[in-house]
Amino acid sequence: MGRAAAASVTWSQFGGVDCIRLSGLARELGTQVRPGLGSAGEGFPAMAGRLVRDGDDVCFVPRFPFVDGTSYTITVRGATAAVLIRPRPERPVTTEVLAIYPTAAEVPRNLLRFYIWFSAPMSEGYAARHVRLVDAAGDKPMTGALLPTGSELWSADHRRLTVLLDPARIKRGLAAQRQAGYPLRRGEPFRVVVDHGFRDASGRPLRGAADRWYAVGGDERRRVDPDSWTICAPSGHTREPLQVTFDRPLDHGLFGRCLRVTGPGGQPVAGSPEPGLEERSWRLTPSLPWAPGAHQLIVDPVLEDLAGNSVSRVFDRDLTRPEDRPRPARPVAVTFRPR
Amino acid sequence: MSEYGLQSGSADVQSAGPITFGPAGILFLADNGSARVFAVDVADPGRAAGPEPFDLADVDARIGSYLGCEAGDVDIKDLAVHPVSHNVYLSVQRGHGDAGQAVLVRIGVPDGTVTDVPLGEVPVAEAAIGDAPAADDQRQDITIPSGEQGEEVTYGGRTIRILRRPIRTSTVTDMVYVDGDPGTLLVAGLSNEEFSSRLRRIPFPFGDDVTGNSLEIFHVSHGKWETAAPIRTFVAYDGGASILASYTCTPVVHFPLAGLTPGSKVVGRTVADLGAMNQPLDMVSFVDGGEEYLLVANTSHGLIKITGRDIDSQAPLTTPREPVGVPRETKDLQGITRLTNLNGGYVLALQVDEDGRRHLRSLKTASL
Repeated sequence: MGRAAAASVTWSQFGGVDCIRLSGLARELGTQVRPGLGSAGEGFPAMAGRLVRDGDDVCFVPRFPFVDGTSYTITVRGATAAVLIRPRPERPVTTEVLAIYPTAAEVPRNLLRFYIWFSAPMSEGYAARHVRLVDAAGDKPMTGALLPTGSELWSADHRRLTVLLDPARIKRGLAAQRQAGYPLRRGEPFRVVVDHGFRDASGRPLRGAADRWYAVGGDERRRVDPDSWTICAPSGHTREPLQVTFDRPLDHGLFGRCLRVTGPGGQPVAGSPEPGLEERSWRLTPSLPWAPGAHQLIVDPVLEDLAGNSVSRVFDRDLTRPEDRPRPARPVAVTFRPR
Repeated sequence: MSEYGLQSGSADVQSAGPITFGPAGILFLADNGSARVFAVDVADPGRAAGPEPFDLADVDARIGSYLGCEAGDVDIKDLAVHPVSHNVYLSVQRGHGDAGQAVLVRIGVPDGTVTDVPLGEVPVAEAAIGDAPAADDQRQDITIPSGEQGEEVTYGGRTIRILRRPIRTSTVTDMVYVDGDPGTLLVAGLSNEEFSSRLRRIPFPFGDDVTGNSLEIFHVSHGKWETAAPIRTFVAYDGGASILASYTCTPVVHFPLAGLTPGSKVVGRTVADLGAMNQPLDMVSFVDGGEEYLLVANTSHGLIKITGRDIDSQAPLTTPREPVGVPRETKDLQGITRLTNLNGGYVLALQVDEDGRRHLRSLKTASL
């Protein structure tokens, strides 16, 4: 491939859209753009776009925007006219990890998931490389502990990432569980690490790595049972919070939406819900003073604990245990009366 | 296309997800950004194709060249083959983060030309697939949208546009269309909160009742442990009478479709277990010599081939011993991440080589 004569080839704009401007070309015919350096893209399709005349210049207006940091080779009738590198804007690095859930110091050996909250929307495609478990004693990566999902699990605005431990290694009876064992080991603490290479939505790395340390306890294989919770009823005619204490930490993502309160007539009680320490409790401060009479705490049956056991079923059910039979997938109501 | 309820509009796909063909050349596209499935008339320009194989090296670099980005910025989420022309459609996410863009790419067969398929001003229908956020789920991300999305709100005399989006989302992991009257689009998904095994059944043409028409799929391991898990990949089997599904926790499970009522609990028959440190990636079934076969692409082994007769005669797995389940052949075909039927004689695979380059490769079914 030879070098084509062109007076100048520059980044420019046409009609408010980024383009590549070629000056000093007699004819635009045969002008093509490909990502990559020189002949690397030879034989591959030319970049989609259109050539438009702008005075004496020719502009290549791409169908898809140029990518920051990418090189583009411009050829005219097969000869290289120029290689342009799309500049990458210098911007300060500001995004960081806000929180890692669960916040409990100890998790069950059959822990199912983490949630990672970021301070800004993030890019997809980095979780597998930049979130990992390491054993706290030797600082060694715990290979195969996390589930590669193919598609990452984000909240709609890409600020909360859900990370699953490999369920095949947690569920009893599966080949993976027998061959590879649990991802976590009882009594062996570990850390979940988010390293700074995780990219935010503008492509910038994090301000720094983040981690959280956990001790590992025994298995949790009981259904979530709202009847075993402690409800501290508020005083009537006040705006004292209703305080609900669970028998174990519950799933951070779910318990924010799985609990609600209704009043004596069945009407919803509006107020400010607030999760407690280590996701072991929940309280609701009502907007209006508590009415007298029976109230109900309504629990959605999908509410899970840290090991994926829900109100309606245990995570992996031993068919020989009748007490683990699934409950109907209906909301469970627990009655309380303001004092 | 009006007989399928398609009307001129835009399939505004935010995040590329699985794709599959339905009737009359209609392509279903799952949008994991907006939790919707679009049915689009792709107006395929090709003629009826023959039984020839089709191979294309460096498909990621070719698509990147056309889209103006490096191969590393091309994330191929799924592939589907047009039932008549055998042109190959690829669901692609170009770039990351704010610069990310979903693109539907068409590879011409047999010449290998690359084009993008317009998704604006096309015959389109859509169905919501996410569980609607509960009315009392206050947890929403509120952002200032860059375009006309969202709603206008007034604070202290000042009106701004905001976009409310739920924190809870559902990601489509696979879709299968089963012909019938009406047809049924089966959609498997993975929630970012609960560990659900829900399989949604969406009648096509799309109607009103989508979210309520779903099944909870359980499976039993070794006769002792019953579990529910999200389906990672699945195929219609036995002419659409049943489903073979593979899970995030690797068993291959058979369950019938006939007679299942919405909201019912289905316990499938576990016929194989793919083993430790392994994830199913994709499955395809094909018929050769009157016999139905299943191919399973997975992360740890070569391509796995299972014979339908063995699946049909496999008793539910009840004893934890090796080998686990139906006999299977492991082919020396590594790095296959996606599979689809090309024509009666070939299966089309997306294969990653040792250097990370991705290629389209035809596998002759009679030789597998």
